[in-house]
Amino acid sequence: MKKSVKKVALVSLALISTGLTSSAFAQQKTQIEFWTWYLSPKFDNFIKGVIADFEKQNPNITVKWLDKQDTIERDFQATIALGQAPDVVNLWNDSTAAAVQNNLLVPITDLTPLSTLNRLYYSNVLNIFKHDSKFYGYPWYGYVDQGVMMYNSELLQKAGVSISRIRTLDDLLNASKTIKDKTGAYGWLPPVSDPNGASFLAYFYLDGLPITNASGQAVFNSPTHAALLQKYVDLMKGDYIPQDLLRKEAFQVTNELYSQGKVAFMVGGPQSLNRVRDSNKDIYSKTKITSAPLGKAKVQTGGAFSLVIPRASKHQKEAALFALFMTNNVNQVKFANVVPIVPTTKAAKNDPSFKTTSQDPIEIATARVAGTGGLINPGFASPKNTDVVYKNFNDNIQAAFLGRKTAQQALNDAVTFWNANAK
Amino acid sequence: MNKTRTTLTAYAMLLPALVLLGVFTLYPVLYNVVLSFSKYTALELGAGKGPSWVGLENYQKVFSDPLYQTGIVNSLKYLVVVPILQIFSLLVAVLVNRSLPAIAFFRAGYYIPVITSISLAAVMWEWVYAKDGMINAALQGLGVLSKTSAFGWLINENTALWAIMFVTFWQGFGYYMVLYLAGLQSIPTELDEAARLDGATKTQVFWKITVPLMKPTLMICSLLSTLAALRVLQEIMVFTGGGPVNSTYTALFYVYSKAFKEFDYGQGAAAGMGVALIGFLLSYVNYRLTRDQQVTG
Repeated sequence: MKKSVKKVALVSLALISTGLTSSAFAQQKTQIEFWTWYLSPKFDNFIKGVIADFEKQNPNITVKWLDKQDTIERDFQATIALGQAPDVVNLWNDSTAAAVQNNLLVPITDLTPLSTLNRLYYSNVLNIFKHDSKFYGYPWYGYVDQGVMMYNSELLQKAGVSISRIRTLDDLLNASKTIKDKTGAYGWLPPVSDPNGASFLAYFYLDGLPITNASGQAVFNSPTHAALLQKYVDLMKGDYIPQDLLRKEAFQVTNELYSQGKVAFMVGGPQSLNRVRDSNKDIYSKTKITSAPLGKAKVQTGGAFSLVIPRASKHQKEAALFALFMTNNVNQVKFANVVPIVPTTKAAKNDPSFKTTSQDPIEIATARVAGTGGLINPGFASPKNTDVVYKNFNDNIQAAFLGRKTAQQALNDAVTFWNANAK
Repeated sequence: MNKTRTTLTAYAMLLPALVLLGVFTLYPVLYNVVLSFSKYTALELGAGKGPSWVGLENYQKVFSDPLYQTGIVNSLKYLVVVPILQIFSLLVAVLVNRSLPAIAFFRAGYYIPVITSISLAAVMWEWVYAKDGMINAALQGLGVLSKTSAFGWLINENTALWAIMFVTFWQGFGYYMVLYLAGLQSIPTELDEAARLDGATKTQVFWKITVPLMKPTLMICSLLSTLAALRVLQEIMVFTGGGPVNSTYTALFYVYSKAFKEFDYGQGAAAGMGVALIGFLLSYVNYRLTRDQQVTG
């Protein structure tokens, strides 16, 4: 009886001590919350895989992953107000700028030495997230707006258009006219009034026309700027580009119509081809890849997604560790092999996994754009009061396209509003 | 004693619902009033500060903003859909309120748009309204429209708002038809029969008996659809995002943009109060027009 009591006591003691040590161990574990933007369910395996690798390397940190969609900015603010801020958040150019303007983010140089950041990432991408000489975002995956040109070779053949003659944006617009006149299909659908951002500003940048002066004042209303806008207005008037571009994202309209054989060119990243491959194998098989035509300035535009650390995060050190891990070269290259993104790490440029001898359009395009992180450049910094200023800009651009204002008047009004409100 | 106990029991039964109503409706409404007089933006939020009192500043800014004025005008235009929707729903309800073969099929058919998600409906209506869509094809077939003058109905400033209003009408009439149908079926058939025996025509019966007895249902339906028209947001977001050139930019879209895109909660709340005030006034007018008048004499 005594023995059994002793045994029970010993076993109890052992169990209690085990419990105590395990709970003590559990207390040492830090959980960080990680938000992505529109990556689930398509990339669940990749994200979960990276998280698992990270947790293996950092046994004292666990990562709780949530994928947010169109409410990410709203939810971000709400959780900060409730004192439950996430620790690592996936944002994009303009939303990072807005979060910085609202003083919601920690400068990442407070957590990671600048030398480390400079060693890992392209400086042009780091600078996208630079505000008042501080860096606020770990560069994650990027994209180039020009990247490559994917085209329906059959439509070009029908129209008698030679791809070798298309070197500049003007060549592309002229080819688009010929294709529309001869086949009824559209050529290239340029973004003119995408709901997010101010897409038409990019054309000024591509042609080497200034957007703001040294003191940050908008100056995109010279007669040359107006003539450029008028050129696109005339294209829409002549139905060489569809009016739907005033209502929907060019990427979306292009994808839909290219898959139906009603558009000849897609300019941008190879991710545009995924839908074509899935929905129309015949057109996919006729798709060829070439270099994207550029504007007079011979530059490209593009952007990148960031991982930011909120000021309100309670685990900033661990968050920085995770953000660095998620955006390191190994994981960006892995991601680029899952979906054709442009890695923002310098080392990705010569990664052997991007070399291909395949004839598959997506693989060719991926190989071409994978090393173009050094070309990523938004072309202009987001103004303060981004949403208000861009909305007014887009309203004016729409007014010009719909004939409500002359191109010159639309740009004059946009500049006046910009300079009065971008403060 | 017994009465007190009964009252207490009744309140005890109501308590869970009252708590939920208080937390999820009353508190947000009151807090919105407070916010509308406060400066509270993402900047304060980031600094860990709460709202600070600024009096009428938000109201001055919002009400003098041309974009808000455009929104109010468009929201008021949107109210045109209300009488059309109510009259049509009532007529369809009268039509399906008979024991005809396959009438259940028609009732269900009219209700389908109500349960169709706006995203799905948008895909369909975009085809209808497209430049090379069904409407233009029909108009060209009738010789009303030439091929060169065809336009996208959602791109044209003069038609975009009306096009979206028609979708609201299409989605709403089945819902109100069901409400009217319930109202019609609560009218005793004896009244109808007596009037017919006295020599009243079908039209007279409808206007002199059916419509007056349907007044409570009419009031509820027109009130619901007035407020729904004033609060329209989803359709605008899905179809046009407020464009082209703000021709479909409604007051609630302004509220949404201020609060959840610009993160100026104070101004968003003030703009919301303006919309609420209009809703209140319209509800009162609606009540005065459709209230049940006691017939004396």
